[in-house]
Amino acid sequence: MISRSLKEGIRGVGRHWAMSIYSAAAVTITLFIVSLFLVLTFHLQRFTKNFESEVKISVMIGYDYEHEDVEAGIKKQIEAIDGVKSVEYKTKDEEFQFYLDQFEDERTRKLFEPFGEDNPLHDAFYVETNDGSEIQTIAGEIEKIEGVDSVNYGGQSTVDMISAMEAVRKFGAVLVIGLTILAVFLIQNTINLTIRARRDEITIMRNVGATNRFIRAPFLWEGILTGIIGSILPVGLSIYAYFLLYQKTGGILISNMFKLAPPQPYAYYLGGVLLAGGILVGLLGSLLSINKLLRWKR
Amino acid sequence: MIECTHVYKRYKNGTNALYDINCSVDQGEFVYIIGPTGSGKSTLIKLLDGEETPTKGAVRVVGINVGKLRSSQVPIYRRNIGVVFQDYRLLPTKTVFENISYALEVINMKRKQIRKRTEQVMEIVGLNEKGNAFPRELSGGQQQRVAIARAIANRPKVLIADEPTGNLDPGKSDEIMELLEKINQTYGTTILMVTHDLMLVNKYRRRTIVLENGHIVADLPEGGYVRHDQ
Repeated sequence: MISRSLKEGIRGVGRHWAMSIYSAAAVTITLFIVSLFLVLTFHLQRFTKNFESEVKISVMIGYDYEHEDVEAGIKKQIEAIDGVKSVEYKTKDEEFQFYLDQFEDERTRKLFEPFGEDNPLHDAFYVETNDGSEIQTIAGEIEKIEGVDSVNYGGQSTVDMISAMEAVRKFGAVLVIGLTILAVFLIQNTINLTIRARRDEITIMRNVGATNRFIRAPFLWEGILTGIIGSILPVGLSIYAYFLLYQKTGGILISNMFKLAPPQPYAYYLGGVLLAGGILVGLLGSLLSINKLLRWKR
Repeated sequence: MIECTHVYKRYKNGTNALYDINCSVDQGEFVYIIGPTGSGKSTLIKLLDGEETPTKGAVRVVGINVGKLRSSQVPIYRRNIGVVFQDYRLLPTKTVFENISYALEVINMKRKQIRKRTEQVMEIVGLNEKGNAFPRELSGGQQQRVAIARAIANRPKVLIADEPTGNLDPGKSDEIMELLEKINQTYGTTILMVTHDLMLVNKYRRRTIVLENGHIVADLPEGGYVRHDQ
């Protein structure tokens, strides 16, 4: 049964080869763009995650607060805020030592050491959040706590960068949805043509007792095959291009924060997703056509 | 074999096609259904092959209440009946052999069995030499023979012939009638034949049901005489 319907499906693709090529080309273009946005989105997410995990809120405590108050009061209040993952406390002496440790050069360290006697730094908390997008809100909440002198989280630029990444993702999603609809529509039209060309045959099939499944199966194959044909180029080129990109960049873009995922297995997953996407688009196109033209009710 | 009990059919557009049809056809009978255009003959055929459902009443064929079948059950039911049309309805791109075997392929019969059965029915209809011919290479009578072969390939219990001689000259019509009689007598297939051709009805006398305006106005026993104006 499968071999018969598959054969008929292949014949269907050949019967309207020009239309089949248009439809497959639409799938190809769509999948190329999907591929681009999949790579982009996946890595943006990866970069954002890296970025977010690096970003911490620094909370400076006012000079007039005693250590006991800080530990007992402010820390608990910060921890009670929704979305706070961890809170690390550092005294102003620890802060000063950390500052000094930044200098590798002994002479420079010696130059700054005298400032430790009248340490100008604050006691501070370093707050990690569960979700980078909540940084701004959580910082605002912390700022309201009594005893907090100032709050710093990299400021607006952090939030702007995260929201810019979001915007790119959303634009990509809209474009992909639009192109997918176009590809589905083209496949549907191609299969409509095949069904119309085989109308007499379908009537005869019904007369002699063919089940609906038997009649529909070849058209489903035709859609799936068109989807597969359309996926060949995007799948092949995406895998090749990703390996090449990884090889040429050594897997790192600009800095360590922007690391590409290793091509094995990522490139193959990408190929698999694209192929599945092509099949799904083809299947959807043929289902729409079949449900419109081959619905048989007494 | 076929039983219609108080069957009414009213279409959605308000047309009343059949009124209180009561009739039964026994296994192995050969029955003509005649009547003018619009008398309800086509509707009756549609009710019998499951294309339409009665508005009221019951249509039973081979013990199955056809009107109660779900759409998905109709194809399986249709394997019990063969239908032959006036316009043959052959696939022009398939050979005679393929046209016949196609009817067996769609019901998932095994390849070997398909070959054997197709050859058998080609023999029955007298076309065993024409297996590789395409429909366009055949005469009207031969094309109708292919259509009959296709209809009986699955050994249906009932054969419905809708104006099978409508497109044929008298000589060819006789050949088709003789073939249908042979199928009826040799294999015991119940045959229901819709026709306008009263010459044939009078020549090959069989039970005749006369429809007019959706009513059965006469049910003439075998050999009954039918006027030429009916």
